[in-house]
Amino acid sequence: MKELFPRKQVMGFVFSLVLTIVALLVYFLDMSFAVGMTVLLLTAFTQAGLQLIVFMHAGESEDKGTIYLNIYYGVIIALLTVFGTLLAMIWGYV
Amino acid sequence: MKVDQTKPLEYSTEQNNLNILGFWMFLGAEIMLFATLFASYFTLEGWTGSGPSGSEIFEITPVIFETFILLTSSFTIGLGVHAMRLMNKKATITFFSITLLLGLAFVGFEVVEFFTYIEEGAALQTSAFTSILLSTLGTHGAHVTFGLFWGLFILIQIKKRGLTPETANKSFIFSLYWHFLDVVWIFIFSFVYLKGMM
Repeated sequence: MKELFPRKQVMGFVFSLVLTIVALLVYFLDMSFAVGMTVLLLTAFTQAGLQLIVFMHAGESEDKGTIYLNIYYGVIIALLTVFGTLLAMIWGYV
Repeated sequence: MKVDQTKPLEYSTEQNNLNILGFWMFLGAEIMLFATLFASYFTLEGWTGSGPSGSEIFEITPVIFETFILLTSSFTIGLGVHAMRLMNKKATITFFSITLLLGLAFVGFEVVEFFTYIEEGAALQTSAFTSILLSTLGTHGAHVTFGLFWGLFILIQIKKRGLTPETANKSFIFSLYWHFLDVVWIFIFSFVYLKGMM
């Protein structure tokens, strides 16, 4: 039974629960918008990295380099899309 | 077909390696798809017209349930892949079944949530905000629903054919999809719900 619950994945799960609870503090505690957003950005991206490495085994295969390159590319385009849109549609008018 | 015994089953043939790499490419495109939805959401979230705003319709309790259910299902499918590498067919089937049941519970919560929004006067056509909100949540929810069927068919294949290079490869790819949906949910949870209720 014990070999079915590898330490690495159990620890990864516990850590992801902790990150979720920290993110929830933004709702339950009184925080300024800037502090709250900083907390959320940190917990969300840490959580994503955790899933990628611990659960998705991104670094295990021979194609590791290609897989990471592809994910970095996707993430860069995603960030440019989101922040570029914010700049053009919202921040540029304030 | 050359089977490399030194590697886990899902990586044991050239075809399997290519399938996994190809699926990562697909996930790269999915990241961009969700990025366009988030970009539109952040642009339109203030355009509530005569409809409700996010802070008026979001409720923390179902969101907490949805988040913990999806996180747990991501963990159990990880255990499923681990059991598969130990060649433990029974444990693999058990963990994949638990994952799918949790996925079903998640979809259940989301359906109730959507009905509640519509009752409260926040339908797809109410305002720019409700449109993009339901489109973003709905795209994720549709992915999870599709995943339920995909996962179920893979489960049947494992049951019938056992753990072979093919079924292991399909299961591993499905686990990548499932973890990816969990990552997308984390961003929805943080930047749609929590940001909206802050």
